[in-house]
Amino acid sequence: MSRVVEVNQLYLQFEANPNGYTLSDLNFRLDHGESLLLLGPSGCGKSTLTYCLNGLYPRELDGEIHGEIFINGKRTSDYRPGEISQHVGVVFQDPETQFCMLTVEDEVAFGLENIGVPHEMMEGKIDNVLEMVQMQTLKKSAISSLSGGQKQKLALACILALEPSLLILDEPTANLDPIATKDVIQTIRSIKERTNCSLIIIEHQLDGWTELASRCLLLNRNGEVFYDGDLRSAIKNKLALLQEQGIWLPKVTQYFLNRMTQIQRELPLTVEEFMKNPFPLHGYEEVNDTNIPLDTGSPYVEASHIYWDVKQQPIIQDISLTFYRGEFIAIIGANGSGKTSFSRILAGIQKPTKGSVSINGRKVGSWKESLLREEIGYVFQNPEHQFIANSVYDEIAFSLRLKMETEGIIKKKVLTVLETCGLLQLQHEHPYTLSQGQKRRLSVATMIVDNQPFLLLDEPTFGQDASSNAELMGLLQRRYESGATIAMITHDMELIHDYATRVIVLYKGRLVADLAPTELWELPLEKLHKWQLELPIQVQVQNCLKKEVNYATQSS
Amino acid sequence: MLLNHLNPSIKALTVCIFIVHLAFVFEPMPVFLFLIWTIVATFIFGNVNWKKYVLYFLPFFIFAFGMLWTTIAFADTSEHTNEVINLLGLTVPLDSFLVALALSLRILNVAALSLMFIFTTNTVDFILSLIQQLKLPPKIAYGVLAGYRFLPLMKDEIKIIHAAHQVRGVNQGKSLKDKFSQYKRFAIPLLASAIRKAERTAVAMESKGFTGDRNRTFYRQFFVTKRDFVLPGILLLGFWGAWFL
Repeated sequence: MSRVVEVNQLYLQFEANPNGYTLSDLNFRLDHGESLLLLGPSGCGKSTLTYCLNGLYPRELDGEIHGEIFINGKRTSDYRPGEISQHVGVVFQDPETQFCMLTVEDEVAFGLENIGVPHEMMEGKIDNVLEMVQMQTLKKSAISSLSGGQKQKLALACILALEPSLLILDEPTANLDPIATKDVIQTIRSIKERTNCSLIIIEHQLDGWTELASRCLLLNRNGEVFYDGDLRSAIKNKLALLQEQGIWLPKVTQYFLNRMTQIQRELPLTVEEFMKNPFPLHGYEEVNDTNIPLDTGSPYVEASHIYWDVKQQPIIQDISLTFYRGEFIAIIGANGSGKTSFSRILAGIQKPTKGSVSINGRKVGSWKESLLREEIGYVFQNPEHQFIANSVYDEIAFSLRLKMETEGIIKKKVLTVLETCGLLQLQHEHPYTLSQGQKRRLSVATMIVDNQPFLLLDEPTFGQDASSNAELMGLLQRRYESGATIAMITHDMELIHDYATRVIVLYKGRLVADLAPTELWELPLEKLHKWQLELPIQVQVQNCLKKEVNYATQSS
Repeated sequence: MLLNHLNPSIKALTVCIFIVHLAFVFEPMPVFLFLIWTIVATFIFGNVNWKKYVLYFLPFFIFAFGMLWTTIAFADTSEHTNEVINLLGLTVPLDSFLVALALSLRILNVAALSLMFIFTTNTVDFILSLIQQLKLPPKIAYGVLAGYRFLPLMKDEIKIIHAAHQVRGVNQGKSLKDKFSQYKRFAIPLLASAIRKAERTAVAMESKGFTGDRNRTFYRQFFVTKRDFVLPGILLLGFWGAWFL
């Protein structure tokens, strides 16, 4: 077997960070046709390693690099610029920023043009790779008209056209809904079978990938490898380290870890694996305490017959509903089903084309802007959009200062909020210098300092590692318990199962379901799949166990 | 339909050459005739939406009228006083009126030529043809193309930032000074995300093997054919006709 990647004693240091190495003493090898999961907490240097492997560093690096990287037996620095793209292909996280052309065929052709494929051969190659990702019918489409999943498959096709022997996937499904994620993973699997290329997969959410790759390389926060080998034995032997570093485990594995007092057996990595070999969970009953009757709440936010069109295209169509005080609402649906638009209309940020929203029985339009903002907090998808001040402290103090409170009271309040969000040490930092998870917590913190009774969040858990995710959800849960009403857009079914009291499902701009989570999981699967939803792991495992019990009682 | 299928580079060169030529014509009449010729040619040989055309033409018209007015109002009246005409109750020397008319018609004509190009050319085709015919460095050309994709994204982003700041309780700018400081506040998040996006796109382009090297092949090839010289012919005919009439 030939060796595709060989990394020897790689050290990398950025000029901006002279105190520590981003990557430190990195050694690993990858054989032809082998697959590897590269895991680690946010900011551990996974993407930096990608840049090293595809030859971008040291060429574009502001900093120092030591050590050797061989791709197919040749040093990355010995390749001519551009040549390495025929050996290493990378698919990046953000589907929006990977393209420079306007149509699908032009974008695939772009790579072929770069490596000088003759004009006569291009058409055939383009058709071939588009067929591999099942996008032949979209050959002439504009890239802007594609969905997130399609864009990601197009990015994959562009890379495949160059026929690399190593494919690096840098969180390719982070922005996608559950079904689109499955589709992309399925596509990658079939490509792997056809081309037998090597794979390096960088992901936060491991689900779906574990069958593709069993070997994993674990990095810690200092950019050092602390484990290289089978994922199963990592979970068995290095569990404490994994959890300490905030690395996500497969959801099923996590589920059992949370519910078993001692672990005597090997834990399954996928639901399918569990189904093949189910085992009962002794001494653990699934309690669904989220299903609280809502008769204590009074009508709070009422939307009646909301329509919203953009350029004659209907985005939201005839949505009417009422939120009650003390609800934890999850707004879900496929990418582009109108979730964000609807939440903005609810928060009075966007005016609907038709229909109206009332809060406390008063139309949003007749509220004074400053009073409305004291009633509703809204956390945007990208936290940076909401930052105004030059330090973390000022950021939180901002809205208090608007209310003309004295500096003494402000200080007390700000410090309490910073304490609860775990940002106290960082109060003098500039908001933009924080990590992703910290930025997200800060944006939530700016919204809770005012104690708004209604909080709307747009995908708050997006792209975070396990530990910052847990901290954030803890923060929300405390807010909820202190009496706030929370509405949250999310793709995370497990989160809905654990926290939400009510689920709103949008499909193509219409409200198709409004029920408790437990009722949602009982709907037929075809319906859920049509709405691009999945059952959460908790329910899948429970269903499997129930079946098992039924089978046992029938056969005995 | 003919204009839409011409080689974009040749079309651009033609338009540029005639714009330069117009600068040497000081008589209003030939410029006026050539203007009519250009507009008529645009509609006969190009597939153009006339409503949009009029809308785009309007600002140039206002500009041209302003030019006409100021040239007349600030003309040097001391020397040319032998011939005068009456214009809206004002007595204006004929010479300065003709100069003003020629100037503003020239503006309109430059606008008509530019619009002829803009309305019949696909941006991507134009840039690809610039690389292939006029040897524009691919580094610049593909950079412009990637930037062109970003424009609508930036517009959306400004809207989002605006809403996000509104939610934070930042007062909406009422006076001009407030508005200015408001845009200053938008600038930082907008620039931060633009830089990050640009970097990501650059990395993605590079990992597809883009080096900026001129030595590349083309999926969409552009050639110069005999047909491409029809437009210069048509315009030249109009230009001569207008000149000698």
